[in-house]
Amino acid sequence: MQDNAPNPRVLLTKSFIDSHDRAIATIALALRDAAMEVVLIDYEQPEDVVTVALQEDVDIIGLSFMSGGQVETTQKIVAELKRRGVDDLPLVVGGVIRPFDVPPLEEAGVREIFRGGAPLADVVATFQRLAKAYRGYA
Amino acid sequence: MAVEDSAYGRWQQTVAARYKDRSFVARNRSGVEVEPVYSGLDRMGNEAEMPGQYPYTRGIYPIHYQYQPWMDLQIIGFGLPSQTRKRMDLLLEQGGSKGYFDREAYNFIFDMPTSMGYDPDHPGVRGSIGDCGISVCKASDYEVLLDGKDLSKTTVSLVLNAGSPAMLGLYLAAAKRRGFAFDKLGGNLTNYIWDFFGHSGGTNFSPRGSYRLIADIASYCAQHVPLWNPLTISEHNICEAGADNVQAVAYSIAAIIAVNEECVKLGIDPDSVVPRFGFHVRYGENFFEEVAKTRALRRVYAKVNRERFGCKKSGSLQARIHAQTAGSLLTVQQPLNNLVRNAYGALAAVLSGANGMTINAYDEALGLPTEEAVTLSLRTSQIIAEETGAVQVSDPFGGSYYVESLTDEIERRVFEIIADIDDRGGLIACIESGWIKQQVSAAAYKWRQEIESGERTMVGVNKYTTDEPEQYAVFKPDPEAARLAIEDIERHRRDRDAARCSAALEKLREAAVEVSEGRTIGSVMENLVAAAEADATLGEMQAILHDIFGRNK
Repeated sequence: MQDNAPNPRVLLTKSFIDSHDRAIATIALALRDAAMEVVLIDYEQPEDVVTVALQEDVDIIGLSFMSGGQVETTQKIVAELKRRGVDDLPLVVGGVIRPFDVPPLEEAGVREIFRGGAPLADVVATFQRLAKAYRGYA
Repeated sequence: MAVEDSAYGRWQQTVAARYKDRSFVARNRSGVEVEPVYSGLDRMGNEAEMPGQYPYTRGIYPIHYQYQPWMDLQIIGFGLPSQTRKRMDLLLEQGGSKGYFDREAYNFIFDMPTSMGYDPDHPGVRGSIGDCGISVCKASDYEVLLDGKDLSKTTVSLVLNAGSPAMLGLYLAAAKRRGFAFDKLGGNLTNYIWDFFGHSGGTNFSPRGSYRLIADIASYCAQHVPLWNPLTISEHNICEAGADNVQAVAYSIAAIIAVNEECVKLGIDPDSVVPRFGFHVRYGENFFEEVAKTRALRRVYAKVNRERFGCKKSGSLQARIHAQTAGSLLTVQQPLNNLVRNAYGALAAVLSGANGMTINAYDEALGLPTEEAVTLSLRTSQIIAEETGAVQVSDPFGGSYYVESLTDEIERRVFEIIADIDDRGGLIACIESGWIKQQVSAAAYKWRQEIESGERTMVGVNKYTTDEPEQYAVFKPDPEAARLAIEDIERHRRDRDAARCSAALEKLREAAVEVSEGRTIGSVMENLVAAAEADATLGEMQAILHDIFGRNK
């Protein structure tokens, strides 16, 4: 079966005050090696994430949290996606996600949660699947 | 060769002079007498170096743990100062928080906004306040955190990134208000603004601005707060960002070279500041490599400071090392395995002759540590110190064919990388070009790919996995902390003498311009203390420093 889907465009992002960037930098390289186009930024305001996602016309957003802000920031980004009419843009979250973060993240509509040790192959496959579905190729 | 001219003879004389008649001979379980140090010939057939002798491969003291055990510094900090204070009291009750010479010691970690120099009411930091560290933004917060503590007998370690300079201002201002003389204050500022390897990110100052500020703080402290350690070069952070051990040691030394070059350029004698610099080294991944890298780090540091910078004071040649177990190796899967990982890491640190110790909590991959987990970290250290006998002999691996050969090889490779960085124009140029960041990210990715392929084993993650229910207790920070912190800073801004505060901030700006343009040094720190005394907040001071010294991106 021939796959005519274009290579997904991905926005990976973390807060400007979260200094732990090993995970997100590693994910960026893994997605790049899977032929995705990756935009990697730090945001100062959660709303900035949506602005960049629209400017860069991405198919999926990945948020990294290593030290706080998991729920509140994600909720703000989801609200901004809704406000700007792109609430179907898939959002995935990774990092230190504690059990009590999971219900509110799922309720906010986060499509997948990756914690430490998640196989890169799974992460890559999930980004691919969600991005293609968003573009209508799956 | 006369005995007194030999390394062993000199060591004996030093020990006799320094420790008088005290004997450090121990007895093991079977009654065999154990000497505090063993020695002989090195691999070249020459008389081996002894601990406490240049270039300090075998440790910086002639007698180490037998005389002075390592300092246990568990990381502490969450929520509001009042909440962290409760955890401090618990640790103290458990026998922790022990500094050198009967001082109390605390290793404070701050929430990310504080760590980066932002106040809790900055619009971009909601959701992170009091999460993963204490929220501190004004001098009066230390009155709560350290209420009733005698600061001349308390060692405080302030672990933070870009907010470091302003934070030292807050601490010193608080101490001054309570009447403590600066020359009695002992403590440590990690001052991670040197770190462009992954830990200060975009909120850091420009690379050149950062290294200028480091020189300013070091020269101020040397003059006014002589017992204070104003810089921790964190080999640990570089490893955690993904570098391998050789890279991390080389980049750490490159950072010292960049700081020293900045000092020399500004007319500061390295011997006046270098003795107060220290290291933070990571343990827990490869046992023997980590022992060897510690020995190589001490040796390279001594050689570089003596040969390249002409340092003469012994304190300038002795790398003091605070050990920490590796946070990035803690797994969410089968989290109790982390207890075992941490214990091996801590043992490697002890057998390397580290001077201070932070053992992570086994549940840190799940969230903030629980009290039970923090206590187990402390017990791990106590078991190594008081049950295993590992402390009876200094540099117990000295003379091992394997460890000595690995030490030499790490040294050789470290000097190669340093030469490469020199060829590229020095560390700051390598940071500005992005080369450093690329090297670290590539190493991190390679490591991760080895996990993926199974070439590298992580027990419970890519081998010996189980499907286990999630039933571990996870610490939950107080959701009210953010609201309370914001109310508190709003009240603070209302109640302070606004004119006095603005005037102090204006003076800080003027001093920053002078220092940034190289006309003077030490006055940024002086004016940070004055501004903090005038009730300026962390974020207000940081905004001025960012303005003048530039931002990293």
